[in-house]
Amino acid sequence: MVEKIRDLYLFSKASKKQWMAFLEEQGVVDFDQAEVQPIDQTLGLYDEQDQLVGTGSIAGQVIKYIAVSHAGEEHPGSRFNQIVSALESDLAEKGCFHLFVFTKATYQEAFEHIGFRTLAKTAVGLILEKGTPNIEQYRASLPKKPVDAGQTAAIVMNANPFTKGHRYLIEQAAQENDWVMVFVVNQDVSLFKTTERMAMVQKGSEDIANVVVANGGDYMVSYLLFPAYFIDDRDQAIRFQTALDAELFKQQIAEPLGLSARYIGTEPTSHTTALYNQQLKKILPPQVAVKEVPRLSQDGQAISARTVRQALKDQQLSSLADLLPETTLDFIKTNQEAIMERIAKGQQIHGN
Amino acid sequence: MEIKQTALAGTLESSDIQIMLSQGEKGIHFDLTSDVKKQFGEDIMATIQSVLQAYDIENVLVKVVDKGALTPVIKARAIAVAQRALDLKDEPNWEVL
Repeated sequence: MVEKIRDLYLFSKASKKQWMAFLEEQGVVDFDQAEVQPIDQTLGLYDEQDQLVGTGSIAGQVIKYIAVSHAGEEHPGSRFNQIVSALESDLAEKGCFHLFVFTKATYQEAFEHIGFRTLAKTAVGLILEKGTPNIEQYRASLPKKPVDAGQTAAIVMNANPFTKGHRYLIEQAAQENDWVMVFVVNQDVSLFKTTERMAMVQKGSEDIANVVVANGGDYMVSYLLFPAYFIDDRDQAIRFQTALDAELFKQQIAEPLGLSARYIGTEPTSHTTALYNQQLKKILPPQVAVKEVPRLSQDGQAISARTVRQALKDQQLSSLADLLPETTLDFIKTNQEAIMERIAKGQQIHGN
Repeated sequence: MEIKQTALAGTLESSDIQIMLSQGEKGIHFDLTSDVKKQFGEDIMATIQSVLQAYDIENVLVKVVDKGALTPVIKARAIAVAQRALDLKDEPNWEVL
């Protein structure tokens, strides 16, 4: 009995209908646009009667919408393995050898069985990775903590762009600790590009001796890896995802690297970030302390990168001097044209 | 020889083996997943190692997911992945074969 793998093209209405019907049969029911849109490729597994008996998709480097029917399956697990294997080979041909999957706890074993490794786990679900460069290689690439450093802290920021508020948070941490590691979110979906955000944070903190800046890699607040498709309620999805992120940070970053605290700013406006901070406070202690620093205010208003982006959009450059350190101001002045062009082209300035 | 690019060969289907080679430091390092690791883990690694040595690959990370492959299959997949990793796909090394 030979079952064949074929590409399944979701832009064809008929294929998509068949695909959705099959997934619904297997208990996957969320086809929210935010989940389906990022899919790059979908494979279908067909039996001898040309019936769809399995499917899996790839979005970036994340495996999604994987489901198989066990009716008429030769060996338990063979269809699942065949689908994952085909997805991996296709990715390898494109030069991508590192992939992630979010899934329910019941599938942990199935994925570990084919070489995936669990990065973090919560009651609702878990995140696994396979391939290279993996978490160990990422950790090895980071700056090493000085041997004589006692109190150490981590800060994770997007810095879109780097404001006086970010600078204040770093200063607080640097005063209270021997060594501070600042992780810049790697995902390149913000107004300011990752390289620019890295450069702004580096420039803006280079005068503080006990601070190092590192790229957050694939492991820090990577909203790309959104697992909402198997969770109905969006708030619950955010809670689950942020809990996973907190677990991952604790187990794979803070503890192995010996970082004793994480500094966060209070969050007065963004609902998602407020939920995220809540989860951090719940999950990180007691091994990793969470220090919440009140946001730096200017004329009674908390400084936020969002205000800066709005000001840029409204061409109110004069108001920026109060919100941004010299280093970021210089950067914006030199690159003003490129940034304005991005906004004109419709780059989102809301969100994070 | 040095690994030029990360490479993958084989599948996760029954009786097959999936091998991935990537750049490593100081020797050959294995990460093996197999249901029969206890019984045949050493043999599987030895088979792959002999192929790697035939290609003069000294520093490499070898990620292996075995699904009960027989020795000739292991050898074939190891040769394929070595050729890909060394970017020698078009120049088969007959002496290894």
